[in-house]
Amino acid sequence: MIEEIRSKAAGLLEDLDGIVALKETEMGTGPHLFQKGDDTSLLVMEPRYPVSEITSKLQKQFQEARIGIVARGCDARALVEMAKRNQIDPERLFLIGICCPQELADTCHCAEPFPRTQEWPQAEMIGEPAEPGDPNPLVIQYRDKGLEERWEFWQSQFTKCIKCYGCRDICPVCFCDACSLENPLWVEPGLLVPDFPMYHLIKAMHMTTRCVACRHCESACPSGIPLTVLYDLVRTDVEDLIGYIAGAEITALPPLSLTLSDAPIESDLVY
Amino acid sequence: MKKPFEPKVVAFLCNWCSYAGADNAGISRLQSPANILPIRVMCSGRVSAEMILRAFRAGADGVMVLGCHIGDCHYINANHRTVKRIPLLQKILGYTGINPERLILDWVSSAEAPKFARVTADFVDKIISLGPIKDELKVTHPATPVSLPVEEVVS
Repeated sequence: MIEEIRSKAAGLLEDLDGIVALKETEMGTGPHLFQKGDDTSLLVMEPRYPVSEITSKLQKQFQEARIGIVARGCDARALVEMAKRNQIDPERLFLIGICCPQELADTCHCAEPFPRTQEWPQAEMIGEPAEPGDPNPLVIQYRDKGLEERWEFWQSQFTKCIKCYGCRDICPVCFCDACSLENPLWVEPGLLVPDFPMYHLIKAMHMTTRCVACRHCESACPSGIPLTVLYDLVRTDVEDLIGYIAGAEITALPPLSLTLSDAPIESDLVY
Repeated sequence: MKKPFEPKVVAFLCNWCSYAGADNAGISRLQSPANILPIRVMCSGRVSAEMILRAFRAGADGVMVLGCHIGDCHYINANHRTVKRIPLLQKILGYTGINPERLILDWVSSAEAPKFARVTADFVDKIISLGPIKDELKVTHPATPVSLPVEEVVS
C-alpha cells in the first residue's frame, strides 16, 4: 500500500504546491513538505505522527498555496476540528486519505480507522476501510467503578506526571497561542508533580468537544498515563448530552460556543 | 467537643441576576449560610472550568455557579454556554474521583431572594453531609501569590 501512496503523491505533486507527509531520513522520521521533484520514495506512514498543526501553519504562511496532506482517519478528524476553528482552509487542502491496517485499528482501539473523505471538497481514499477496533477495556472498567476507586486510580496515575507538556504538544487539535496550561494563574510554575486538579482537568475540559481519539497523547506520555481513558469517557458524554461527535462533520460547529437553539443539551436547567 | 465541619463554598454570582438576588436576600433579612464566599462575575458564561478548578484547589469544599434564567441573560444567550459547560465539568470531576455534587449550577434571578437563601442553604447542607474535600486537593505550599483568601473570609 505504501507504494500506492508514494506514486499517488508523486502524481499529485504535478498539480499541488506541496504534500505534507512523513519522511524517513537518517536522522529519524518526521513531517516533511514534499515538493515537485522531491523523492517520494522516502515517504512513509510509520510511526504515526500528527500533521494537522504543521499543515495549518503552512496554510497560514502561504495564503495562496494548495497543499495536499497524507492523512489517516485520526488526522482527517483532527483536520475537521481545525477547519471548524478556522485553522485550516478546506478549499485549499487536498486530502489523501489512508485507511489504517486492521492491526493498527485494533491496537489503537480506533472506532473509525479510515478518513471520511466525503467531508472534504477535494479528497481521495487509498486502501480498504478496516473494521473498527474494540473499545479500550480500561474505559469500561473505570466507568463502572465508584468515586473512591476512581480517585485512587487517577491519583496514582497523575502523580507520575513530569509536566513535560508532551500530551499538549503532540495533540493535533491544540493550536492556541496562549495556553491555559502555561498561565501561572491556573497552573503554578515550578511545581513538579503538577497540582491536581488544575493541569490535568483543564486539559480534559479543553478536550471535551475537540478530542478526536487519535491517542497520540497517550503514546507520547513518557510516564504512560492512560489519558485517553478519561477523554474517551468525556467524548461519550458529549455525544450523549449534546449529540456532538468531534471530527465527524465539518459543518457541525463546536457546541460549547453555540446557543441552545443550535446545540441543545438535555438538562433540568433548560426550559 | 469536636468542632462541627464548616464547609467553604465559593459561589460565582452573575452581576445582573444572582448577585442582585443575593443582595435582595440580605435586604429582606433572609437567612443564608455564612459559608458562602461570593465572587461577582459579569456573567455565568464567564465562569470557566479553570476558575472552578482553582476554587477547588484553593480549598473550597463546594462551588456554586449561579446565573440568570435561560432567556433572561443580560448578554442574551451567554448562559447557554454555561449550561453546557458545567455538566461536562461535573462529569470530568466524577471520573477523576471528586464528587460531582460539589459543583452545582442554578438560576437565581434578582427577584428570587428566597430561592437564593434556599439554594445556598441546601447546597451547604449537602456539602456538610459529603464532608471536607480530600486533603490532596488543597494547597500544600504557601508560596501561592494569587490564592483565594478562603481561610480568612470564612473562619
